[in-house]
Amino acid sequence: MAKLLIVDDSTMLRDMLNYALNEGGYTDVTEAIDGVDGLEKAKATSYDLIITDVNMPNMDGLTLIGELRKLPQYASKPILVLTTERSDEMKAKGKAAGATGWIVKPFVPEQLLKAVNIVLSR
Amino acid sequence: MSGFDISKYREMFVEEAEELFESADNVLLEAESNGTLTDEEMGQLFRDVHTLKGSGASVELNLFAEFTHDVENMMDKLRNHQIEFQPEMAGTLIDGLDVMKELLELEVAEELTREMFEEKTSELLTVIRAYINGETPTETQQETPVVVETVAAPVEVPQTNTDNIGLYDENINDNKFNVTFGFFNDEINQDNENYGFFDEELDKLSQTAQTPVIEHDDNDDFGFFDDMAAITADSKLEANNSDQKEELIAQEEKATPIAQETKPVATQQTPTASAASKKIPERKEKDTGKKVAASNNNNIRVNLEKIDLLMNNVGDLVITNAMLTQFSTTIEADKTRNAVLERLELLERHIREMQDSIMSIRMVPMDAIYSKFPKVVRDISKKLGKKVEFKHYGDGVEIDKAMIEGLTDPLMHIIRNSLDHGLETPDVRIANGKEEVGIIAISAEQANGQMIITIEDDGKGIDGERVALKALEQGQIDENQYNTMSDNEKAMLVFGAGVSTADKITDISGRGVGMDVVKTNIQKLGGAIKLDTTPGAGTIITIMLPLTLAILDGLDIAVGNQKYILPLSSIVESLQPTSEMIKKIGDGSQDLLMLREEFIPVVRLHQLFGVEPTFENLEDGMLIVVKSGNQKVAISIDEFLNQHQVVVKPLDKNFRSVEGIGAATVRGDGSIGLILDVLGIINAQIKIEKDLTAAQFAS
Repeated sequence: MAKLLIVDDSTMLRDMLNYALNEGGYTDVTEAIDGVDGLEKAKATSYDLIITDVNMPNMDGLTLIGELRKLPQYASKPILVLTTERSDEMKAKGKAAGATGWIVKPFVPEQLLKAVNIVLSR
Repeated sequence: MSGFDISKYREMFVEEAEELFESADNVLLEAESNGTLTDEEMGQLFRDVHTLKGSGASVELNLFAEFTHDVENMMDKLRNHQIEFQPEMAGTLIDGLDVMKELLELEVAEELTREMFEEKTSELLTVIRAYINGETPTETQQETPVVVETVAAPVEVPQTNTDNIGLYDENINDNKFNVTFGFFNDEINQDNENYGFFDEELDKLSQTAQTPVIEHDDNDDFGFFDDMAAITADSKLEANNSDQKEELIAQEEKATPIAQETKPVATQQTPTASAASKKIPERKEKDTGKKVAASNNNNIRVNLEKIDLLMNNVGDLVITNAMLTQFSTTIEADKTRNAVLERLELLERHIREMQDSIMSIRMVPMDAIYSKFPKVVRDISKKLGKKVEFKHYGDGVEIDKAMIEGLTDPLMHIIRNSLDHGLETPDVRIANGKEEVGIIAISAEQANGQMIITIEDDGKGIDGERVALKALEQGQIDENQYNTMSDNEKAMLVFGAGVSTADKITDISGRGVGMDVVKTNIQKLGGAIKLDTTPGAGTIITIMLPLTLAILDGLDIAVGNQKYILPLSSIVESLQPTSEMIKKIGDGSQDLLMLREEFIPVVRLHQLFGVEPTFENLEDGMLIVVKSGNQKVAISIDEFLNQHQVVVKPLDKNFRSVEGIGAATVRGDGSIGLILDVLGIINAQIKIEKDLTAAQFAS
């Protein structure tokens, strides 16, 4: 069973992600409320996939990815960013931060799952 | 969005939105008053609005998201210093938030039409977009607003929405996939992809993997929502995963078979309905307790009802413990009995600690109430052309969450009154030698087991004389009272029902529209309210509240053959009166206690509750001086018994309200104990006095 961590400051969105992932058979999902919380939780356990929002208080998603990539256990783990934009600029930023890929918000559960399935099947 | 119970999430969103609005509002209000915005504040503003947009779009509030997108754009530009903050922008953004709130409300109620949307937003959008383009809009609000062309929807948001939801998407999407994720690689050949990876290998996968969209007829646009119930996406997914698996194996030998890892939901769910039914699957109960996995820097949201339930459970424990203790005293006195009693005492201590812990869960900082005020103060003072500085103290002081609801409205009302009737307009203030800008300050503190909240203004105060004349006219007071009342006592009459409703009074000294309602609401919370006013200098309103509504320390008192419980917090002192201390007034039926130069009316509880009196002379019983707010009475009882914690149970659900009885509890022996309502007793006493004086006048 893959262990997932979702990081988003919106309770509602975490809930939606969690539900969609549950429906897709990923029931081992931990929630974090911002980058700081996410980093703390990621350090405490080893997750197989981290999905994070970009804009969050205390520590944003891109900083979080950067911090995670510094940790040996997350050097090559898949990390997906949730974003409301698809601009090339955003892509460049995501790539620079070390993200594996992105998912556009609002997300469609099937597509979220597809992305998750792909990265976890490597 | 398919597969989600949108209404449930919308509810969540509305709740979340309220907090975000409040947070953004407060930053902007500050910015408006001091004309600056720090980078940190801009960041927070952007985040708040960004979350509003993203989450709003996620629950299909498309028009809300469309407008919010523009507001977000402006904040984004500010944040990145692509445009520089100008003080008048704050007002525009506050208006923007107001429109967002309105749109949200309408769209959730499903009453928002495109036309309404245009009407509400076009003017503001013109201003916002001008700012975004680095122009300073000329605020000529009179001219016909430019109708923004919205048929071609603004850039990103709605596009995403329609793509992902497929409601308005009337063209068959050429792109078979309609992907919503992507790989961050160099080829950008799919403009509308919604997900992606930065990795060629993965990217290839995503190209080859089919989106689990049900194979539709070609002219069907992307409608897998409809078929959700009939064909679960998951079974499709699984098939899809097997496809993927083959792909993977073909490409890469160490592929993990996802099919084994992904439990098809189909096995956990009873297949529902026929293909014709378009029901969104109900959310299943999760069997994992992962929600509770909260780290120390983390909060979880718990429904207040659950905490109330917990409180009740503990209450029952207290009662059971009391029963056991009582029962144990009947054991023959020996070692066993002492051992049992000792352990029961320990248990009682633990239960008390548990109660305290649960109480602390229920407590929230006053800030939760305060944060609602700045916006109201701003809006009203603008409307009235008054200048005011709103100050708040004691933001961190904690209050029982259950009280917040009952307290917010009265406080709001008082603040409105201060603004409307207390504070003068700048010219009047200057003429009276005051600062042009008035002050309204609210503060909260905990003292002697009570919550004390004061609302102070430096306005013109209340004209007690006017109020008293009005009250006299209405028969609330009589000549005699009128002649003996101090100015402040007269001003206090605004809390009387009906005194304040007349327009006349509003014109002259105003203040007090609905102050009686405020008073009633505070009393409902077990609190009291008083005011101190100085004509020309201002008014201070003080509210005293119990810290919690759930548990109190009570004193058992015996009145004849009955027992009652008196809240400890209301007791000033108790004494064994001597005959010198007692003065009789009226026809001799009314006693006064003279205590250190103070006359305190005596209430005989036997009389009040119709209990067979056990003594005639007050000095044969005990007196307990109690107070509520600034009123005192001495209640006459036989004796007091023991002191203990009481779990308050409301009476009104099970019984009509009785004057002088506030609530009930269950005693250790399982019997019902009645808790006295001191305020009610005082009011009953006042009534008796009134009747007395009326009788005297009549004779």
